[in-house]
Amino acid sequence: MAEFSSATTSRSWYHYLLLTACVLFGAVSVGFVGSIIQKSLPTWLHHSTTLIGGGGWQSPSGPFGGLAMIVGTLETSLIALVIAVVIGLGTAISIVFFIPRRLRNIVATFVELLAAVPSIVYGLWGFLVLAPFMYSTIDPWLNSWPFAREIWGDPSQQYGPSLFLAAIVLGVMILPTFVAISREVISVVPDDLIEASLSLGATRWQVIRKVVLPTARIGLFGATFLALARATGETVAVALIAGGVAKVQWHMLNPGTSIASWIATEFGEAQGNEVSALMALGVLLMLLSFSLSLVSRWLVSRQRKLLARV
Amino acid sequence: MSEAQVTKSPTVVVRDPGHTAMQLHDVAVSFNGRVAVRDATFDVAKNRVTSLIGPSGSGKTTLLRALNRLHDLTPGAKVSGRIVLEGTDIYRGDMTVTELRTRVGMVFQRPNPFPTMSIYDNVVSGLRFNGIKKKSLLDEAAETSLRSAALWDSVESRLKVAASNLSGGEQQRLCIARALAMDPEVLLMDEPTSALDPIATLKIEELMTTLKERVTIVIVTHNMQQAARISDDCAFLLMGEDRAGELIEFDTTEKIFNNPNDSRTLDYTLGRFG
Repeated sequence: MAEFSSATTSRSWYHYLLLTACVLFGAVSVGFVGSIIQKSLPTWLHHSTTLIGGGGWQSPSGPFGGLAMIVGTLETSLIALVIAVVIGLGTAISIVFFIPRRLRNIVATFVELLAAVPSIVYGLWGFLVLAPFMYSTIDPWLNSWPFAREIWGDPSQQYGPSLFLAAIVLGVMILPTFVAISREVISVVPDDLIEASLSLGATRWQVIRKVVLPTARIGLFGATFLALARATGETVAVALIAGGVAKVQWHMLNPGTSIASWIATEFGEAQGNEVSALMALGVLLMLLSFSLSLVSRWLVSRQRKLLARV
Repeated sequence: MSEAQVTKSPTVVVRDPGHTAMQLHDVAVSFNGRVAVRDATFDVAKNRVTSLIGPSGSGKTTLLRALNRLHDLTPGAKVSGRIVLEGTDIYRGDMTVTELRTRVGMVFQRPNPFPTMSIYDNVVSGLRFNGIKKKSLLDEAAETSLRSAALWDSVESRLKVAASNLSGGEQQRLCIARALAMDPEVLLMDEPTSALDPIATLKIEELMTTLKERVTIVIVTHNMQQAARISDDCAFLLMGEDRAGELIEFDTTEKIFNNPNDSRTLDYTLGRFG
């Protein structure tokens, strides 16, 4: 009996401790989100159209237009995503189907390690290695294309850092994330589906195109959205190499900026209305990452259901 | 010395080659040097159901998968001996592996329709893999094979529906239809009813007895009643002392179940082990 009661006591002690942790977490979360929203409120109430649709950012008095950052975030993330998906899908398929078994685990582990490298390292590489190379070799070549000025922008404004450079570094940075997740998604396609298609006389390539990729499709979209979420939220790497110019920039070799990197470079000097405007940018970024991660979770759960029926 | 050890070589019913769909001669399968099954020598007779029976680990499924070269995928797998389909050695002869697999179809243990495809697309998937695009051909093949698999009446109105909406038994019949659409000479079935309920099992068994008129069937089953009910010939395999499966006896099902040559066969069919 004594043993039983002591077990009960310790359980209830634990119970309260855990409950306290839970309440603390709730309070911190509410406080965190609430105070950011509260700080950004003046901007949302009085300058919301400027923040979402305005072009310039005049410190310290305003106006504070966020369009350049929003557009820059979308441009860099989407180009990065194209780079990561095209190279990453090929890599993931090769790892699962074409690399010899012994090498496979080594490559897969290496990819996962790359995905864990802090982004400052990618940023540093972009700034010190890729940027000089782009400036001296790639940019002149791109500028020699027909309609180069219309696509890439005015060469006299280019000095190395650019949205395009940021997009490439982001692409390289999210590539391991995308490869790691899509390798996982592809490798859980059931063997008996692969064997069934082979038994119908399918070639290996047909098995991949007609059976494996369609079956893994939803999970691959999930991987895409997770990679996109990582790209949109990336701060340091972009701050180093995008150029830090708050101007809506359609010419990709010209310098620009993104929401996250702009917040990182501006907050130190900000006062008054600018603080509120930066907080409002933060809210935008938060909403963006919430929705991307919700979509990817939903996709992953749909993929599970699809495979559960098999 | 026991009676079992005396009968070393299995009894083989030798038939006129014209009546043989596949011939197995001294077939052995090993993985990274470890023998999984060996000594398999028998003829699979045309338009009959041949069952492979034996306890777990006796190499039934391993042997079956050698018949359409599914072991090709497994690194370290090696198939030796001769497997002959209509005069051509399927491992060494002048036949591509994709051609072999269109002539020797397979139905698996778990129903495995392609989850992203409709019923119709599942049935014609093999034809499409092999480059057939003409809609009239595909339509015709879909109807014929679904009819042969006794599924047409229940799915005719919902061919575009995802295959995953079917019940387990229907899914397995869809997989049979999918294999039949290729018009194979031989159909391999790896415990095709082990994931199904008794009624669905009965339907598949009925199906097999009508299907053998157009396709030779080789079935692996762990269910001896099933083997007795549906098969005409029967191969009994058993795990040897070195844990490699080997063919103990091959004969007509009637002989295997009523009057086998080997005492181990009798013990197994009477349910004394396994």
